Amino acid sequence: MSAISLLNPKAEVARAAQALAVNISAAKGIQDVMKSNLGPKGTVKMLVSGAGDIKITKDGNVLLHEMQIQHPTASLIARASTAQDDMTGDGTTSTVLVIGELLKQADIYVAEGLHPRVLTEGFDKARLKTLEILDNMKIPIEINKDSLLDVARTSLRTKVHAELADVLSGICVDAILTIRKDEKPIDLHMVELMEMQHKTATDTQLVKGLVLDHGSRHPDMPKRVTNAYILTCNISMEYEKSEVNSGFFYKTADEREKLVKAERAFIEERVIKVIELKKKLCDGTDKTFVVINQKGIDPMSLDMFAKEGIIALRRAKRRNMERLALACGGIAMNHLNDLQESHLGHAGLVYEHVLGENKFTFVEECKIPQSVTILMKAPNKHTLAQIKDAVRDGLRAINNAIEDKAVIPGAGAFEVTAYKELMKYKETVKGKPRLGIAAYAEALLVIPKVLATNSGFDAQDTIVKLQEESGLNPEPVGLDLTSGEAINPKDFGIYDNYVVKKQIINSCSIIASNLLLVDEIMRAGLSSLKG
Amino acid sequence: MGTREIVSLQFGHYSNFIGTHWWNIQETGFGYNGTESSEIDHDVLFREGLTVNGQVTYTPRLLLVDLKGSLGTLSEQGNLYEPLVDPSTADTNWNNKVEVYTSTTEIKNQFQEELYKTKNPREIFKKSFDFDNNVKVWSDFLYSRFHPRTTNIVSEYSHKQSSCFEAFAQGTELWRTQKFLETFSDKIRNYVEECDSFQGFHITLDATDGFSGLSSSCIQYIEEEYEKKPILAFPVIPSHYSDDKGIMSEPHFPNSFRVMNLAFCFDALNEHSSVFVPLCTGSDGWIQPRTKIEFNHVTYDHKLYYHSSAILAAALDTFSLRYRMKTHSYTLKDLCADFTTNSRKVVAASVCLPFSINEDSDFISCLDKWEGPLTKSITPNCSIGTDKLLQMFTLRGIPETRLKNQLSENKAQRHMPAFHCNSINEMLNFYLSCNYFYTLSSVTNVAKGVSVRTPFPHFFDDSVGANGNICATPRKKDLEDIPILAGLHSGSCIGDMIESLHSETKKIKKLDVGQFSKTGIEMQEISDCFDRLLDLTECYEDNYL
Repeated sequence: MSAISLLNPKAEVARAAQALAVNISAAKGIQDVMKSNLGPKGTVKMLVSGAGDIKITKDGNVLLHEMQIQHPTASLIARASTAQDDMTGDGTTSTVLVIGELLKQADIYVAEGLHPRVLTEGFDKARLKTLEILDNMKIPIEINKDSLLDVARTSLRTKVHAELADVLSGICVDAILTIRKDEKPIDLHMVELMEMQHKTATDTQLVKGLVLDHGSRHPDMPKRVTNAYILTCNISMEYEKSEVNSGFFYKTADEREKLVKAERAFIEERVIKVIELKKKLCDGTDKTFVVINQKGIDPMSLDMFAKEGIIALRRAKRRNMERLALACGGIAMNHLNDLQESHLGHAGLVYEHVLGENKFTFVEECKIPQSVTILMKAPNKHTLAQIKDAVRDGLRAINNAIEDKAVIPGAGAFEVTAYKELMKYKETVKGKPRLGIAAYAEALLVIPKVLATNSGFDAQDTIVKLQEESGLNPEPVGLDLTSGEAINPKDFGIYDNYVVKKQIINSCSIIASNLLLVDEIMRAGLSSLKG
Repeated sequence: MGTREIVSLQFGHYSNFIGTHWWNIQETGFGYNGTESSEIDHDVLFREGLTVNGQVTYTPRLLLVDLKGSLGTLSEQGNLYEPLVDPSTADTNWNNKVEVYTSTTEIKNQFQEELYKTKNPREIFKKSFDFDNNVKVWSDFLYSRFHPRTTNIVSEYSHKQSSCFEAFAQGTELWRTQKFLETFSDKIRNYVEECDSFQGFHITLDATDGFSGLSSSCIQYIEEEYEKKPILAFPVIPSHYSDDKGIMSEPHFPNSFRVMNLAFCFDALNEHSSVFVPLCTGSDGWIQPRTKIEFNHVTYDHKLYYHSSAILAAALDTFSLRYRMKTHSYTLKDLCADFTTNSRKVVAASVCLPFSINEDSDFISCLDKWEGPLTKSITPNCSIGTDKLLQMFTLRGIPETRLKNQLSENKAQRHMPAFHCNSINEMLNFYLSCNYFYTLSSVTNVAKGVSVRTPFPHFFDDSVGANGNICATPRKKDLEDIPILAGLHSGSCIGDMIESLHSETKKIKKLDVGQFSKTGIEMQEISDCFDRLLDLTECYEDNYL
């Protein structure tokens, strides 16, 4: 009799073996859902809502959310997978698979009477050993286009079909290499992702400059200028009624008019300052002038700019202020006192593109762009969303590789090697924990097994083949998904991120151990409260 | 100056009910025949757009947020700009297997079905539908069509399990996710960027669940990003909760959570919004809005959101007219400046629907015979007095011709002091100055009434005639436009309202406060928030003036 039952007779309790069974069956359940996603031959899921909205995803996280998984154990695993995504941007499906498999393997031993505590001890030993193995398998890389392309391609081919994946990996690598400065860490926010519902997905391109999702709001402004000075600023250029002259308070209409005029002049002065600088720098040359403002610009100010042939954009994204300064040079100005040429940026070409009611402004041909835009194109919303997810993951994968300065051979090679090494290590460990190590080694094999199944090969067959090859060959051995034969992933340029694998090893072992050690589950109290 | 645009935001399911009615009222009231020119500038709340195929659209300048599963048959993107993609032919960018998971297809109700098929949507006004029993979610009676940007769905929480998005902190946490911090704020920016002389924001928000936190964070963001732009917020309390068992309301969970959400919401709005107007059709609204406000000639069921939200929407549409007129230069900013003297940011609202004027009577006689206050408060726990007020009335649906009997037939009228008034505006002002003391009033009037065409609920009794006036004989035709009076008020009554909320917070059990704190707020922060409410009441004491 559980203590809580005395206090709350309504409490539901599951104990010991029963509690473990609950956890294991939940983990297996969500593993089954996610299994088919893994790898470049996995299935893509299309979710159609009751009203007909389409969502296409292979991302484990999205699926877990969409499927409204309520089981507390499943949601714990889902959270581990979310954390995986937050940390590394990849490996969400693997996390779920490995946790599920660890529990499955553990179940066999627990059923034979082994105490879960002993198993987790073994898990912990195995985890440390596996990390060691991982470190040994690291392949240091030169940061150059070819090595990064391999990593990006490996990641992207699991999200979209090969042709598109190759286009996107090229774009992602170019983007990162352009904004990378020496050895400084990369700020991925400096790659702007812009969606354009137009043409097809493979028309997605990299713009070495910036694409803004708005255009000029004056019919007389030029639509295309070359050799342009760029002024980025955060200065209101719209007249706003002040509160004093409103409503009940003003005495005569005249008085009010005067106030309005004085206030309007204040704004005009700002516009005139910009125009003066433009006249000084551009008049008589072939140079042009573009103003990009984070605040508003009202029609009267726009009109003044238009008369001078200046393109003026209002309400730019806050983050674009920073990006513009990095792409074109110059400084984002917060005031116009002693505005100088050195404050301005420069772009070789600025032009507008109109699609229905949407306008896009391209700021291109920048000298040393340190901020770029990936312009994603697709004929419809759901494809755009899919590409955006893929590009994000691709950028993360490249960034991980750069930070790790190393990669891990993919195609299941790491798991096969880890199994081999762990089995050797097992012999050196005394007592029951070695059973935990065996279970752990077995569980890791779920990755190559599922890869094989998803590609239409027999799992056992493949594993045996891989293990045989791995026993003969000191090089890492992976699985070729088209032939089902053992290959060296290095020859095919299949590389995974080091940090992704590391995170999987750590989080899976911990979550699985925690779930194993649960010997009582109860539900009582404020059941409707989340978390 | 051209149109002074407003961007509207709606957070939460009940807010969306109100919003849906509001947009319906406006669109069904559009004069399409071109003979009558409207006094109302619809461009303030609507925008003209263009699809890729070159078709012109006219849609609300609106962003709404609701939980997953709350849309019914409405698709998230809408089908105005592009047709829905057929899942069987959709491009997946994948060469291997694709698994399709289809949720059960939602079936359109008769109204949506006919609206979808018809070539002339205005024909729908002549038909009647059984909305009272068929409306489950707000999209069931939606007449307007939305821009693809408009609908935003929170996929983290589900509408069908109503009890999971129920704490303020869950909302503030949600705001920090990428979906909101980037996507949603970008959508706001896209709307504002289009506007030539943007005047401010209208924000309707559910104040009793997690949306209170989401919208509060959003308002804080807007305040920082669009400084100087006024934010008029309408925190709303649903007219009924499904967990209301009819017994005495205990300050227990989930009621205690609602009170705490309200407290946090009011605190945040006081900090970051320009003016806010709490709305509910129940007169005692903090824990459970049990006592519904009765209106003459209206029989409505407060358990139906479809009914109660219609009343609030009609009121909103009316008192917001002041800054939506073609002729006035009065703006949202002026309204906020007028009401926020002495840092009083809370404003009460009231409405009289329909404004009951007898068919054969004139405005002057109607006012002469009027007993009691003109309007009823739709701000919970707030009885608007007749003393020391700052108020703004909007009357619509009484044309100038109904002012008084110009011919000398009616001797009695000639002797009324108001007979010298030559316009509706002047007369109502005169009436107000006689009936209220130390009160500053202003009046706006519009000749055309509020549109109550289908899909507005048919909850008026038979004595309301086809023109909206009170008749002796039962009406035969459907109602189109009816007269309505609505007002905004500021005065010491607001202080009482906030004090009643504060005393409600004192009744909450420690255990519930603890649970609330577990959702992500420090205990200290909770008690600080309650104390600030008490401070707030001081602004409304009369001797403060």
